[in-house]
Amino acid sequence: MTSPGAPVVRLVELTKRYGRLTALDRFTLDIHEGEIVGLLGPNGAGKTTTLRTLLGLLKPSGGSAEIFGLDAWQQPVEAHRHLAFIPGEFAVWPQLSGGQILDLLGTVAGGYDKGYRDELVERFNFDPSKRGRSYSKGNRQKIAVIAALMTRAPLLVMDEPSSGLDPLMTAEFQECLREARAEGQTIFLSSHILSEVEAVCDRVAVLREGVCVEQGTLAELRHLHANTVEATYTGDPPDLDGVPGVEDAYVADGVIRLHVSGSPDALLKALAQASITGIQMREPSLEELFHAFYDDSADAA
Amino acid sequence: MTATTPSSPRTRRRPAAAAAEPRSPARVWWRAYRHHLRLVRNAAIAWITALTAISAGVVATFDDRYATEAERQALTAMEGIPAFEALVGRYVQVATVEGLTLSRWGMFGILVAVWAMLSAVKLLRGAEEVGHVEALRAGLLTPWGLLASVLAALGTVYVLFAVAIGATHSALGMDAATSWALGGAVALLAATFAAAGALASQVAGARRQAVGIVGAFLGLTLGVRLMAAATGTAEWLWWATPFGWIGYLHEVDEARGAVFGSFAVLVIALVVAALMLARRELHAGLVGDGAEIATRPRSVRSQGGLAARLTAASAATWGIVLAVVGLAFGLLARDFSEAVADMPTMVQFAAEIGWIGIDTPEGVVAFVFVLVTLLLAALAAALVVGMREEEATWRIEHLLVRPVGRLRWLTSRVGLAAVALALLAAMTGVVAWLGTVIVGTPISFTDGLRAGLNAVPLAWLFLGLGVAVLGLAPRLTAPLTYGIVVAAFLLDFVGGFVDLPEAIIDLSPFRQLAAVPAADVDLGAALAMLAVGLAGAVIGVLAFCRRDLKEA
Repeated sequence: MTSPGAPVVRLVELTKRYGRLTALDRFTLDIHEGEIVGLLGPNGAGKTTTLRTLLGLLKPSGGSAEIFGLDAWQQPVEAHRHLAFIPGEFAVWPQLSGGQILDLLGTVAGGYDKGYRDELVERFNFDPSKRGRSYSKGNRQKIAVIAALMTRAPLLVMDEPSSGLDPLMTAEFQECLREARAEGQTIFLSSHILSEVEAVCDRVAVLREGVCVEQGTLAELRHLHANTVEATYTGDPPDLDGVPGVEDAYVADGVIRLHVSGSPDALLKALAQASITGIQMREPSLEELFHAFYDDSADAA
Repeated sequence: MTATTPSSPRTRRRPAAAAAEPRSPARVWWRAYRHHLRLVRNAAIAWITALTAISAGVVATFDDRYATEAERQALTAMEGIPAFEALVGRYVQVATVEGLTLSRWGMFGILVAVWAMLSAVKLLRGAEEVGHVEALRAGLLTPWGLLASVLAALGTVYVLFAVAIGATHSALGMDAATSWALGGAVALLAATFAAAGALASQVAGARRQAVGIVGAFLGLTLGVRLMAAATGTAEWLWWATPFGWIGYLHEVDEARGAVFGSFAVLVIALVVAALMLARRELHAGLVGDGAEIATRPRSVRSQGGLAARLTAASAATWGIVLAVVGLAFGLLARDFSEAVADMPTMVQFAAEIGWIGIDTPEGVVAFVFVLVTLLLAALAAALVVGMREEEATWRIEHLLVRPVGRLRWLTSRVGLAAVALALLAAMTGVVAWLGTVIVGTPISFTDGLRAGLNAVPLAWLFLGLGVAVLGLAPRLTAPLTYGIVVAAFLLDFVGGFVDLPEAIIDLSPFRQLAAVPAADVDLGAALAMLAVGLAGAVIGVLAFCRRDLKEA
């Protein structure tokens, strides 16, 4: 294990190329003990490539990936003693039962908490007696989730972990993540489900075409982006031309809608000139932040 | 009142006329047909080219190889020998190019049947098992439409097969009517086994079961041929199996109408039966799929345990085939050797090309064990393809993200494959010995075992070469690994027919097999094969440990 204070996961300028295509470009990230870090990005942004390179399944074209100070490519076996992984698509051995697969993966991992396995089987309403080939996608994903969680590994790496789970099971899974955090486990997950990331993650990294365009806590990311303001007024509309930080202003028929970046002080002073009957200001949701990153990208393109 | 909503570039839709593309059931069916044709295209090209070329080689070289009347009459010496006909099918009129070519299809037909039945099961029950059928059936394609599109695609391939045989053979000088009759009969044989595969796909609850059912059908039809040959006099038995029908295509039999009629009736019956059963629930079959497992299943508690289980599952089916083949060869060895003993010219000719003593049971076992060796080489390829499948489906990921190294994973799989090949080789030799004991002319137990073990270096050679391909060019594992086995066998089998230089033919490992137990093991050749196999395995393992995992 690492020395106190050292990161559990360290990516340094991690790069992966396939021929001329750069799937991941100099991605640097530290994840510390007990943190839950989310990796966001659309299809093809490089999330799965990041995780597979971290797991030593792909060879880095540049930079390095370390788990508990162990090089992911050079020392995969040692590194994997301390982690469990949930893939987004879990292919099963068709001739083995769910129970046999759980038993196998738990034993190969170096041991597992049998009591916790039984509890998870019950919580996820999973029938371990069927052959692998007869499981639905959701049930196959339950095998992956249970197999990873039952090891109580200090690091959990997850690639779209709740893919295929129904809303009830997704809620149960998120509860498991909160319990894992309470136990001090570190979690690195990629997800498309923004509400999931928003609900459980301390920090977020956003990938776009293989490049990390933003990372930080959700609060930090929100501060970088505009807040939404909605107000109603009577009488003459306020003059918002030239107010610092104001964008996309719509003022008509007694309704004001706009975005404001930075301090709202100048905006509030401008609004005070009119007869404001109601005002609401809110921070952007993760979904709005996500769209902002990619709309910016599309505009730039 | 109407309201309009401004649309952003991101949400703008295509015009309604373009979106509502007409989709008639016929058009959907046509697309499904083309889709299935695409899926079978590459394998079809390979099979049709290889089999047509081999058969055409017999036609092209006939005049040179059998230039004199005496040489042609020598061919007829094997006619009507039950033990020989049990192996190759009805063997008559072989002093003519038409007769000799037709006789070759007694063996080639088995390959055609295996290819056809596996293609049909793959396109139907296999596609259903991996979820491809859902996507096709979610549209306008009915269960009947799906089955018909698969059968039509396979039928198209078989028509092309018939044209390839008919055109090449008649162009090379074989009687045109016989050439086209042969092409048509081979196509119908393929259609028969494809239809049997389609029917098995409706009956079975899983792909593996479907392969088992249609495999049993293949075994039954070959068994009937074996009985027809063994009894010698009951001609009706030849008519009780599709493998007997091709033998009646000779002009003198005047039975072509009966042959085509028999094929047509059987194909139609199988297709109708498959269509009647096609309207069933997805993933259902007449027999259960074994989804529920025993209450106390044997646990798999290690990577090695899993590797052993997966290797055993692959090897079990091949083991049954090898046991049947070994026993059959043992049972036939006495009759075959006694028949050949009356033909000193043939015994001498065989000895000159390395097959000494084929007038003794030991010599016959050595001679026919070439086929056992081919099966073991194909099993080696199948085991390597099985390893690749673990990677292509990413099941390997479940192990490699845990404390299991790539070196350990691959070496355990390769090691177990090598052990399985050696055990099956030894078992086949022992079973052949048992066959000779049953008919009362036993070879020694040691000789049986030696015959089997003689195949091991060659099987390990192909295992090593397959591992090299897996490490260096993973996406080409299946075509290259099977391709190497087929190319090596054809080089030995056909090389002489097409007058290739001996130095080239000698490159085939099959050419280096010693005639054990009639002769001693060729230690030099065995060691060379082991060295090349080991080198291939080492290169493959090292490459595998240093490269990215690659999906399908």
